[in-house]
Amino acid sequence: MDLTRREMIKLSAASFAAAALNMSLPRNSSADEEIVVDKWVKGTCRFCGTGCGIYAGVRNGQLVGIRGNPKAATNFGFLCVKGFKGYMSMYHPDRLKYPMIRSEDDKFHRVSWDDALSKVTNKFKELHQKFGKDSVAFYGSGQCMTEESYTFNKLWKGGLRSNMVEGNPRLCMASAVGGYITTFGADEPAGSYADIEKAKTLFIVGSNMAECHPILFRRVARHKLQDPDNVNIIVCEPRLTPTARIADIWLPADPGTDLAVFHCMARELIKNNWTDSWYIENLCRFSTGAKVVDFNAYKQFLEQFTPEAVEKITRCPGANIKEAARLFGSQCPTMSLWTMGLNQRTRGVWANNLMHNLHLISGNICKEGADSFSITGQPNACGGVRETGSLCQLLPGTRAITDAAARADVEKSWKIPAGSIDPKPGFHTMEMFAKLGAEDDTSKPLKAMLVSTTNPAQSLPNAPKYYKGMKDAFLVVLDIFPTRTTQLADVILPAAFIYEKGGVYGCSERRSQLTQKCVEPPGEAKADLWIAAQIAKRMGLEKLIPWNGDDAPTSYKMAWDDYRECVKLTEHTLFGITYDRLTQMEEGLQWPCPNDKSPGTSRRYVRGHDPLMNMPDIVKVPSSALIYFYGDKQHEGKANVFLRPYKGPEEPPDKDYPFFLTTGRVIEQWHSGTMTMRVPEIARSKPNAYIEINPSDAKEYGIKEGDMVKISSRRGFNIMPARIVKNSLPGILFVPWFDQTWDRMINRVTIDAFDEGSKQPEFKICAVKIERVGDPKDVADMYIISDVNTPFPLKI
Amino acid sequence: MVITGSVIMVMPGSDVVVEEKLRSFPQVTCHAKSNSGMDMIVNVEADNHHELESLCQKIKDDIPEIIDIGHVYINFEEEIQKIESGTWQNYYNLND
Ligand code: SF4
Repeated sequence: MDLTRREMIKLSAASFAAAALNMSLPRNSSADEEIVVDKWVKGTCRFCGTGCGIYAGVRNGQLVGIRGNPKAATNFGFLCVKGFKGYMSMYHPDRLKYPMIRSEDDKFHRVSWDDALSKVTNKFKELHQKFGKDSVAFYGSGQCMTEESYTFNKLWKGGLRSNMVEGNPRLCMASAVGGYITTFGADEPAGSYADIEKAKTLFIVGSNMAECHPILFRRVARHKLQDPDNVNIIVCEPRLTPTARIADIWLPADPGTDLAVFHCMARELIKNNWTDSWYIENLCRFSTGAKVVDFNAYKQFLEQFTPEAVEKITRCPGANIKEAARLFGSQCPTMSLWTMGLNQRTRGVWANNLMHNLHLISGNICKEGADSFSITGQPNACGGVRETGSLCQLLPGTRAITDAAARADVEKSWKIPAGSIDPKPGFHTMEMFAKLGAEDDTSKPLKAMLVSTTNPAQSLPNAPKYYKGMKDAFLVVLDIFPTRTTQLADVILPAAFIYEKGGVYGCSERRSQLTQKCVEPPGEAKADLWIAAQIAKRMGLEKLIPWNGDDAPTSYKMAWDDYRECVKLTEHTLFGITYDRLTQMEEGLQWPCPNDKSPGTSRRYVRGHDPLMNMPDIVKVPSSALIYFYGDKQHEGKANVFLRPYKGPEEPPDKDYPFFLTTGRVIEQWHSGTMTMRVPEIARSKPNAYIEINPSDAKEYGIKEGDMVKISSRRGFNIMPARIVKNSLPGILFVPWFDQTWDRMINRVTIDAFDEGSKQPEFKICAVKIERVGDPKDVADMYIISDVNTPFPLKI
Repeated sequence: MVITGSVIMVMPGSDVVVEEKLRSFPQVTCHAKSNSGMDMIVNVEADNHHELESLCQKIKDDIPEIIDIGHVYINFEEEIQKIESGTWQNYYNLND
């Protein structure tokens, strides 16, 4: 690179950064041209739920760079390492490029699309005939585009008349959905990311935002550091994560015990009069879940949660809880943010309810800077799965499938006969995999499954329990790389990466953003929507799913318009979010957005902000109401403040298994590592999983840094290197879950107990024991499954 | 070679001190700063992404007035050349 060119690249790069601050540089007139691309195409990052806006640089038909979109309301131009680098995996030579069928030699062989699709649909038809409409399931992902999830959901529920539709958001977000619906009567947060910069206190719970949502964390950290004396951060999290390090108050409660912490905070709020009597009188309904009670009963119920009593249950210092409550209730507005630490629990819905309680009784919701905000993990868990209703109990618009009026509305929209949609929910994820199996196994009603854009053989808790079912059933996998799941499949359908097809993602703040197609998929890989529509066509359902053409942008737009129409008269209306508007707008749009004049909604339930407050054809709101929770099933505009009893985790440590194990993500890797482990810099910086151990525990077990440690639960074991760190409390171990190496696949160890309400499993907590098994060993092998015919490591 | 377009955010009133201290980092080029002085537009240059991360950490450690270094663009010149020349296998040889 000669000096001139290098200087020009520096100027160009600096001018992009300046744009993020709405500044221009003095000498940058021709600098943009120096980063040589044919075009910059607008889109979103696909590596977490923050929804960062990007521009993808295309040259000679290839993607050659990503830059942040300075006008995106989510990230203002900034990106993290996954955002910059993750896309490079799309050019990895392991990409699945051709349809493949497993033959009698137990090996995959390349076939034509026609053969692969015929094989899939003939088998589905045969199974439907033999075992009924509910014998074939769809298992999707919070990484599918909205149009794809909607289409598969429509195909199954409207076309095949089966509610056997699930997706991996069941594993990450279902408790948040359950929490919002039971408290407010409607899913998803009231506020927006913009509340972060308006909040005086931020309460971060069960979320290592610094690693899992780095750009959102950046907003939090900048806000704090700009005004450190007046912005307060409380972090409730058992590990001293990078997120907890910026906290004023850290609440290190043992995993699964924080229900007691939240009740204790509520008790403190009330005792110290840090409550809002108008909210309590007008917007709160106190409920045990079984019956409505009054505020006094709630006060009495909370009496058991004194700071001293709660400290005993949780190991969290009572003084910290009291101070956290003081900041929460007196240094307002307060915004809470949480992710999997709250959701992936057997009491996930209750934990969500108790967070909402704090906001409702202190009046910290539906105001600037005040919100009870669940951050989604995947880029399109909200937009694609929750909002399109692609779970077994839902319909588009997050409506209950048991609701006769909702079914009738959807049937009308889909132009299918009244009564077509089965009112009975299908199986939830864990039940689905438990009931998947061979045709001759009468205990397994599910005989086939189409898995799209996810890797359940690695991501299910207690995964080995479900391998036989996956292997015995007819398993079709639609993905871009070989995974543990493709190793168990019968048919592999090669799919397109986000920038090879385009489509809409909806992030945590109800914001829909359109990614435009940038480049062609490799080999014979196809847009996922095309695959869905071709299956529909071969199943005789072309009329229901007519968007089966070869031009991806046209098909995705048709699917989006069908979806817009379907949810037009719901609380989730995004009828005004058209492709045209999304193409023109840099920042996308937030629903509710009922028509093409609507600017979208940054704050729901508030007159003057939420257009639905004046739309009686969608929800009825008294004209005098300024704030009204219109999802309330009692039609009183109130939210439920729940008196949920304390209950700890399903499997607390005991004398045989004395440690808590908690699992999670790290900043570099995405989910099961199938994409990010294929980007060399990322792979090198986090090449393998490890076990984080507190120094005192390490000493007691004679474990030194790097020693190989066996970690076992009642279900299975892993062997991996030890990392001795002070940020895990004594008695708590942490293992990241991205590693696909058999010895280090931590979901062989985790528990598959799930929340009774949301059916979300308790990934975050189980009891384990550890033992030193050897000296340090180099396991930085950056393992990936490269060949579809690599045999599965376990004999099934 | 990696070249970023980044924003360095500094504590209120510390922009002059930070500019001064940044002189000891030849890998950083300052282009402009916002009216408030709290945001500075810079390039950071490093041999690879790893080095970039550790360099940014070192800058933050050495200059406590810096609140944050955020990247808006990273030019991965070599990687783009590898994409263009089609030498994927070499690029993706994780052990090379
Ligand atoms: S924060 Fe999330 S959405 Fe933003 S760039 Fe990083 S991975 Fe992508």
